[in-house]
Formats: sequence, structure tokens, C-alpha cells
Amino acid sequence: MLRRIADHLFWMARYLERAEWRARLADVNYHLLVESPTHDPHPWAPLLAVTGDNEIFAQYYDTPSESEVLDFFTFDIRNPSSILSCINYARDNARSLRHRISSELWLEINTLYLEAQEWSHEVFGTLGVYGFFADLRNRFHRLAGISHGTLPRDIEFDFMTVGTMLERAENVSRLVDAKYHYLLPRLENVGGSIDRMQWAAVLRSASALEAYRRVYGNQIAVDKVVEFLLFDPGFPRSAHFCLDRLEAALERIEAAASESLRSGPTDSPSAELAQALRESSVEQVISSGLHEFLMEVQDHCAAIGSMIFDKYLRFE
Amino acid sequence: MRKVVGIQTAVMQRDAVGLGNMMPFWATYKAHREAYDEMFDRQGNPQPGYSRVLTEFLATHADKFDEIRARADRMFLNEGVTFNVYGDSAGAERIFPFDPVPRVIDAATWAHLEAGLIQRVRALNAFVADVYDQGHILKDEVVPADLIKTSSQFRHAAVGIKPPHGVYITVAGIDLIRGADGRFYVLEDNARTPSGVSYVIKNRLVMTRLVPDLIRGMEVRSVEHYPADLLACLCELAPSGVSRPTVALLTPGAYNSAFFEHVFLSQQMGIELVEGRDLVCMDHKLYMKTVSGLRQVDVLYRRIDDDFLDPVVFRPDSMLGVPGLTAVLRAGGAAIANGIGTGVCDDKAVYAYSPAMIRYYLGEEPILPIVETFLLREPEVRAMVLRDLDRYVVKPTGASGGYGVVIGPKASDRELAETRERIEHDPSAFIAQPVIQLSVHPTICGGHSEGASEVAPRHIDFRPFVLLGERPRVLPGGLTRVALREGSLIVNSSQGGGSKDTWVLAS
Repeated sequence: MLRRIADHLFWMARYLERAEWRARLADVNYHLLVESPTHDPHPWAPLLAVTGDNEIFAQYYDTPSESEVLDFFTFDIRNPSSILSCINYARDNARSLRHRISSELWLEINTLYLEAQEWSHEVFGTLGVYGFFADLRNRFHRLAGISHGTLPRDIEFDFMTVGTMLERAENVSRLVDAKYHYLLPRLENVGGSIDRMQWAAVLRSASALEAYRRVYGNQIAVDKVVEFLLFDPGFPRSAHFCLDRLEAALERIEAAASESLRSGPTDSPSAELAQALRESSVEQVISSGLHEFLMEVQDHCAAIGSMIFDKYLRFE
Repeated sequence: MRKVVGIQTAVMQRDAVGLGNMMPFWATYKAHREAYDEMFDRQGNPQPGYSRVLTEFLATHADKFDEIRARADRMFLNEGVTFNVYGDSAGAERIFPFDPVPRVIDAATWAHLEAGLIQRVRALNAFVADVYDQGHILKDEVVPADLIKTSSQFRHAAVGIKPPHGVYITVAGIDLIRGADGRFYVLEDNARTPSGVSYVIKNRLVMTRLVPDLIRGMEVRSVEHYPADLLACLCELAPSGVSRPTVALLTPGAYNSAFFEHVFLSQQMGIELVEGRDLVCMDHKLYMKTVSGLRQVDVLYRRIDDDFLDPVVFRPDSMLGVPGLTAVLRAGGAAIANGIGTGVCDDKAVYAYSPAMIRYYLGEEPILPIVETFLLREPEVRAMVLRDLDRYVVKPTGASGGYGVVIGPKASDRELAETRERIEHDPSAFIAQPVIQLSVHPTICGGHSEGASEVAPRHIDFRPFVLLGERPRVLPGGLTRVALREGSLIVNSSQGGGSKDTWVLAS
């Protein structure tokens, strides 16, 4: 497989995952607002904080009003990580992959892309904010279904898996971190009903609420949520699960690569992170600083990205 | 003639109410006054091969035309069967509008075209081989040497590269038109990187979904084996001793106007689609960079112009090419299709000498005539043309795709003045030809936002594809392009053209 093809596969998968994650976040923030009316004059501002869009938003707008945040977040191409921008990048990559991916997958990505070009503030009126993002999330489920149902399991698929899982692991750690930092500025709320509602929303944004309840019952507790989202080995959106899948895909890629490219499995950032997620406990992590641990996770994700680039994708 | 009685009646009595209902477009079809109509002769009878298209397609599907077109357009857009228009806003993709009324070529006409096309491409290939070797045709003064040496398409770097079996032109797209006299003429040759064949195959796919029984019943010849034939020709180019050659298609990338075609062909042939940055030259061999190291490439089907192919030899600013490729070709470490410098034969001034080439290399009379061509580098000829510039079509010698063409009778005074100035400034860069009345074909017009659709005559041309391998072959079909604007003679996709499926009949 060409290095360039591997690069396109990796980034197509990453951008699709990123777009999906953003659609989920917007949906959840909307729910939060409906369920717990707030006195905050700018209830959509946290969305910008979670995704790190606040700086670029400030270049264009003074106040984060609902409609401006939603537009900027969803379909403003001046925002390089708006959902539309992510879809555009994903489709750009897919376009160079047309001969490698199934025609069904290409058709679905291209159709989504063509529809997304028509997005304007009107869509929130016609479908409702909830309806719009729920529809969108289902489009991404469809994309995942088509990928799984039509692509052969070979190293091309592995490169997509690596992109998806790396992005997902990074996003889940960011989400947990952001909840800790931004969503809850007032300490007295910790453990209160609003707090619980917010953690429930975090779980829901990862489609994790039902799965969480099956393991922990009705009780929404900070440590349990963190444990589930970071360390659960079986839930497809936990950091642990993502790293396991990423590791396995990387091992297959490594095995397929020629002798000269092979290096020992030790000290690779992915092996380190996978191990940390397998062996850490939530108690330990919270006592020694959750934020610090999450920063470690994110640093490792970045290191994994550059390792993959150096080893498999870079053109010399 | 088969079963035409009903049709003749319909045409002759086209105002009769009952028949108008059967063929609603009769009532409004206004035959073109001068141009040759591909479907009807002057008496209104169907041309050879067309009677079943009339009764079984136009008559029975008339109410569905809008829907058919909309469905085809939607399919092309969603599947990304698009082209990019240069000079348009970044990333703008358009579909090539599809007209469902098929163009039919009967078996006898096709046999004539096929023989003429093979003859022509063999002569062009012999010319390229000669020009980059001994140059006999120049020494014998059949073609003026200075015309070649000053041609913008002449590539010094091609001298000394010996392609396997002497094949320079693996793929040629020869543009044909049909004049008012009903004869086919060669309008121009495309011997560099001709495109459009993917539309031939996709258009057929649409029609097969639409009218499978008619296509089977009329014994329309299949076009789907083109990619396999092309691959066979490419494999023949592999350096000797390579039994299972690695072939790759070199594309300028996803923003090229023909990128869809590059994707399509590589997919159909099962070969890698590569960009310049995927390739590297080492030790007189060509390699692609894979995740498991370097892999040797034996044959490169390039869809990128000479100028961008190798920054060491051609444009040093090219980011699309492969540094050192020319040296690898010269050493015989890899082969390329089409060869470097083939543009020297599709230059529009050289075109004027093509009948002479056929006689010179093959000792045969040309089967397909060319359009009378005036070389403006000759002072008397130039004076004659400039006197009546508004009666000629002026074309730049080195360009393709309809760019830079000025049609005298349709040009404004300002355009004519500018053209005159450009000709006087650089006379060898232009040729002039009389205005040819392109043939017309019934085409579905209007509809969409322009009110009800109707069937009207529109000008068309034809690009068949010729593959030159150990056995030359012509794809039985081709790209029929149609100028969708009324009266327009410009069929290029970049300038408001559409396309039709072309049915070559087996018997």
C-alpha cells in the first residue's frame, strides 16, 4: 500500500470521527440546556471551551450567543474544526481513496458532503436543534455500518481503525477533562443534582448512559463515570477500549511492514498508553490528579500520531 | 431498411393529431436548415440504425425524459462523476450533463471509421518515432523541419528514448465531426493524454439501466472491455524479462479536471493510482513508496503533461512530477504511456500535413479526410485569412480542450481585433479553418427551470479512442459530445457541453 493511501485512510477516519464527536457534543449541550435551565447568559459557550474553539471564535464574534456558536460550530468553514470543515476534509481524503474504498462508502460520504454544503442556520429551524444533530449522528452510524459491512479487514482497514481510535481516545479524555474544568466552575455544585445531570450528559454524549447503567446501576457518581469512560475494557468509546483496538491494528500493520521498518514493540507510546489504561485504577488517578492524568493521555495520543506519521506515512 | 413504414408515415404527417400523441416531439422538431441530421435524412426518414430508437425510445419514453435526465444527473453527482473547471472558484465540481437520446453508428459506417482511425494513429505514431530519431520525413521535406523544431510540443528530451515495440502513442483520442455532406472529418488529434473514456463507460451504464432490452435487441457493441484492453497494451510496454509487470496510473491529483477518470480507470484495471510524490527514481529504476518500503514500477500510464513530468528536465517548479523519470526511461528501467513528446503530432499546424504522413509512412491514401487548414505562418495565406477573419475558425496550434478557439462568425469586433493582433504578433502559433457545420442530433432541451422540455437538434462531435499495441484496436463506441446551447458549436465540457451514449451496432 502506498504511504499516501495510508495517510488518506488515517485522516479520513480521523476527520469523520471528529465530526461525529462534535455532532454528539452539540446534541448533549442542547439537552443539558433544556433539562437544567441556567442563568448563564451564554449557555453555549462551554461548547467552545470543550473543543478549544474559543480563541478562533473570539476573532469573529464578541459574544457567544446561541445562534452564533451553533453556526460557527456546525457549518462555518472559517472554523477549521467545524463539523462542515471536518466533513470537507474527510471527503477530500476519501476522494483520493475512491479506488480503494467501497463504492457504497464513497457514495455515503459524498452524499453527506453534498448535503452539508447546503447547511445554513435554517436547518436548526426546520429540523430543530435536536432533530438536526440526532439525524447527523445517525448518518455517522450509517457510515460506520457501511465501513464495517463493506471493507475487507486488511491493513487499509487497520489504518482507518488507528485514525478512528486515536481520535476517539483523545476526544474522550478531553471531554472528561473539560467537564472537570469548564462545565463546573462552582465547587458547591459538586455532587449536587446539577452535577449528576451534567455527568449523565457527558455519558450520553458518548452513547454510554445505558451501558454505564448496566454496570453501575442508577447511581451517577464522578469516579464511576470516569472509570467507565477511561478504563472500561468493553465499551467501544472508552479510552481503554480505543487503545486496545489501536494497539492491535498497529501490530498488524507492523507485521505487514517490511523487516527494515520493524522495531521492537517496547517503548512505543501506544504500548505505554495502552498499559497505563489497562493497569491504572480510578482511585489512584483521582488522588494523584485527574487533570494531570488526562494531559498524559493527550500527550501520548499526540506522540502516537507522530510515531505513525514518521514510520508509515511520511514521504522521504 | 427495417420496419420504417410506420415512422415514414409519422414524419410525413407529423401534424396529424393521433401521431402527434404517439411521438409528441414531432410537432415541434425543427430540422436544422444546413447541418446534417444524424437521425433523419432530408425527407424525414430515419437514418440507418435509428428506426428502433425512434419507436422504442423516443416514442415510448417521452414523458419520462425530465425524470431520466434528473436521475442521471443525480447519479453522476452523488457518485462524484464530476470534472473540475479551471479558473472557476476553488474546488468547484460539475457534472458533465447527460443527454439520454443515444447516437447510433451502423456497422458499415463503423467499419469505415475503424479502418480510418487505425490508419491514422499508425501514421501519427510512425511520425513521432521518426521525428525523435532520424527525421526522414523532415529531410525529405514532406513536413517542414522548422515547423517541428519550433513546435511548442517538440521535446528535445524525447530524443534517444526508445519505447518498447516503438509504441509512442498507446492511447489516442481522435476528434471527428460530420459535415453537411454527411462525411466524417478528422477535426483534431489527441495523442498526449486524451480523456473522456470513463464517460463512455458510465453513460452506457446509465442507458443499460434505462433500456436494457433495446440495447440487447439492437445488438449494441459493448464498451466495458476497454480497461482490460488498455491494461494489455500497457503490459506489452514492460521492459523485457518482466513477466508480471507492475503498472501504475500517474495522476496530477484530486484537483485535476479528469481526476474521476483516473480513479475509474485505475480501479477498473486494478492498478495503483499514484501521484508524483508517491514515486522515486533510484539506480535507473522507478519505485513507489509503500508502507512496507519501495516497490518497483515497470509501466507508468501517465495522465499528466510532459511539462510537469520531470522537474529535472522540464518545468523545474513542477510539484506533480518525478525527478529523474526521463533518465529512467532513457535507461529502459521503466516505460511510459503515452511517450514523452507525442504532442508534436497533435499540434494543429502539423495536422495540416497528416494526409502526407499517411502516404509517406504507410503508402496508403487517407481513409478519413481532414478539415482544410491554413497555416498562418505563410505570409500569403495569412493575408488571405486576415482579410476575411470573420469567416474562419482560428485555433492556437498547441492547445487542446477548445481553449483559445475563436469562431469568426460568432466573434465580436473586439474579439476579432484581438485575434488579429495575436496572429500578427506570433503567426506560427495559430491556424485557421473554414467554419464547419457540425452535424446535429435530436437532443432533449429545456426542462429543469427552463419550462417544458422538448426534443431539438443540437450540434455534436465524436471522440473515439484508439489503442495502439501489438494489435491496434478501436473502442467500439466513443464520446459523443453535444453543445447544449442552441446554435452553439462548442461541445467542450468546460464550456457548456454535454454527452450522449454512442451505440455502435454489431450488424
